[in-house]
Amino acid sequence: MDKVIGIVVANYDTPEMETLTGERTIASLPYCGRYRLIDFPLSNMVNSGIETVGLVLPYKYRSIIDHIGIGKEWSLDKKNGGLFILPGSAFGISSSSNRFVLRDFGRNSVYLHRSPAPYVVVTATNIICNIDYAKLAKAHIESGADITMVQTTARRDNKYLSTIVSENGRVTDVYRGVKKGEKAFIDSFIINRQLLVDIIEGYKAVSYSDLFDCLKGSYGQFNVRTFEFEGYGKSIFDIDSYFDGNMDSLVYEVDKALFSPERPILTKEQDSVPTKYDRNCEVRNATIPAGCKISGRVEKSVLFRHVIVEEGATVKNSIIMQDCVIKAGAHVENAIIDRGNTIDCNMVIKGTEEKKMIIPKKNI
Amino acid sequence: MKRNECIAMLLAGGQGSRLLALTKSIAKPAVSFGGKYRIIDFSLSNCANSGINTVGVLTQYRPFLLNSYISSGASWNLNSRDGGVFVLPPYETESGGSWYQGTADAIFRNIEFLNLYDSEYVLILSGDHLYRMDYRKMLENHKAKGADLSVSVIQVPWEDASRFGIITADDEGRIVKFTEKPAEPDSNLASMGIYIFNKDVLVKALIEDSTDETSDHDFGKNIIPKLLAEGKNLFTYEFSGFWKDVGTIPAYHETSMELLDDEPAFVLDDPDFPFMSNSNIYPPQYIGANADVKQSLVSNGCNVKGKVHHSILSTNAVVEEGALVKDSVLLPGSKVEKGATVIKAILGENAVVKSGCTLGSDEEGSEIALIGNDEIYGEGGQQ
Repeated sequence: MDKVIGIVVANYDTPEMETLTGERTIASLPYCGRYRLIDFPLSNMVNSGIETVGLVLPYKYRSIIDHIGIGKEWSLDKKNGGLFILPGSAFGISSSSNRFVLRDFGRNSVYLHRSPAPYVVVTATNIICNIDYAKLAKAHIESGADITMVQTTARRDNKYLSTIVSENGRVTDVYRGVKKGEKAFIDSFIINRQLLVDIIEGYKAVSYSDLFDCLKGSYGQFNVRTFEFEGYGKSIFDIDSYFDGNMDSLVYEVDKALFSPERPILTKEQDSVPTKYDRNCEVRNATIPAGCKISGRVEKSVLFRHVIVEEGATVKNSIIMQDCVIKAGAHVENAIIDRGNTIDCNMVIKGTEEKKMIIPKKNI
Repeated sequence: MKRNECIAMLLAGGQGSRLLALTKSIAKPAVSFGGKYRIIDFSLSNCANSGINTVGVLTQYRPFLLNSYISSGASWNLNSRDGGVFVLPPYETESGGSWYQGTADAIFRNIEFLNLYDSEYVLILSGDHLYRMDYRKMLENHKAKGADLSVSVIQVPWEDASRFGIITADDEGRIVKFTEKPAEPDSNLASMGIYIFNKDVLVKALIEDSTDETSDHDFGKNIIPKLLAEGKNLFTYEFSGFWKDVGTIPAYHETSMELLDDEPAFVLDDPDFPFMSNSNIYPPQYIGANADVKQSLVSNGCNVKGKVHHSILSTNAVVEEGALVKDSVLLPGSKVEKGATVIKAILGENAVVKSGCTLGSDEEGSEIALIGNDEIYGEGGQQ
């Protein structure tokens, strides 16, 4: 994989998730007990043997840098290669749903020019999956394609993902929105580095556009192919999908597939002590990281580090983020409690299956 | 290289043979404890939290796991520019090589390491003990007393005193007598095997001791009595927290179970003085729909679908459907298969109890059941 460098584009935002993002970016949203969304693409890159990774950051990048640092946990703190922080463009992105804005690449073309690697794997940060890019690279090189896009069969309608239309393995069109059963583009692709450089140069006038919008109508000129991903994948574009994705980790098979020991999802290391389960606690179907204290009831829920559930408290079908305290007798159901909140004694926080109650991050 | 005031030398060569199957393939400081730690974590964390950034780790017995575990020392914040963690196994010289012959010999043969860092003080530690201690306080005391050597001491019950190196000191803490395992102790101040030496005093004593053919080259037996006889300034530093050497299986089991008390004597969780470990990055715990976990400590990577009562599950331990684990310690990667019962037991790393088997018993007076690292209990293995 020394012929491949990576780019992770984390410069995507959406008003759909404002209550959760706030000062965070979507890429740094907490996920599945101890991770953040960005951990998945970064881990996929290094697990596939890609040792040079450029990370395109949005302007509010504090939370991402805080989490990633110099990339130590991903072994990206290297003498040669390693992690490159690439500043993303700041304007005109929040209203659009573009993931691969040309300007984000253009501003960082030095990263592309300096690399001797002929191929670039590019991914966004909204798709949760455990994928081997080495297989993608192999298929791409063998087919001689210019671009190979990763696709999967859509399990349900999704307005945020794009549909890939292809004939005899050649992509003919890509358009926004996908229907159940169609082929969905999961925002990962491999492209010949020189071609990416040429596209950036050639489409300078419309650099605010998404790469795949630029190619619209020109698919005939390029050899664009598809690569089938058959594992578990979850796209996170709104509150519901964020909630469902977290809950998916309660399904044993999903948990095992996503967090495989051979291809571990890496994240910032912390020195949390093991979780203490008290003598009267009752925990059924939960994802719980180290550093928690459980004295009450937890059912069908995802907890994050340093959560305390006191005696007589109930947490049901909910996500409780880092440093929250659910005080004695409190009841939390169908809710997302963001970081640092204390739910007082006997308080009831209750959403519905359809509409989750969200308690935003406590500002300290 | 900036000169450090104090460096640490951590003796981690202990075989720990009384821990039986747990130390079959690894040294005692590498034995897992408290769910996500290895015993050496406590000393290394104490060093890091005390601002000591140069640590020589003296290994010899089965060093591989320890070497790879310590790695760059980054997990304990010890990968500093002016220091770091250095694994120091016995090495061959022109005249041949051999294992370290005793605690003092181990340091003597690394005198060049001491000279390289040339610190004013040298802290000697054992990698076998469980405790939380700020060595800075001991160093301050050492300097205030104008000591050549300070020995950290702890009060032990009188009936246990004859198992330790016992120190008799005057009111100022000046050591007047040191007796290794006295039959009739006249003090209950036990040496914790933690010493601060003025480097020059240490180097001189080690060189002299190395040529003494009658010496066992041991700090307690030889170096301390020698310095005492020479009239050097030896002082105690009294420590009054939790300190334990889990040298035997019953002690290991008992100390582990005490972590599950409502107010445990050994507090693992202290954000101001955290215990750090090279715990790697494992997923959160998966607790199944029919699981039942009570009064237990559970680490990352664990997978629980059965019953776990009053037990410690270390990193990546698995308890399958219908299994019961009670009053037990599951070390990293161990597994209790479907319907198996494990009571008052210790499962070594990656040990397996096959489905439907019963291991251990909670009958009065029953011994602690022990399955060694990588062993299988049940069909195909030991019954």
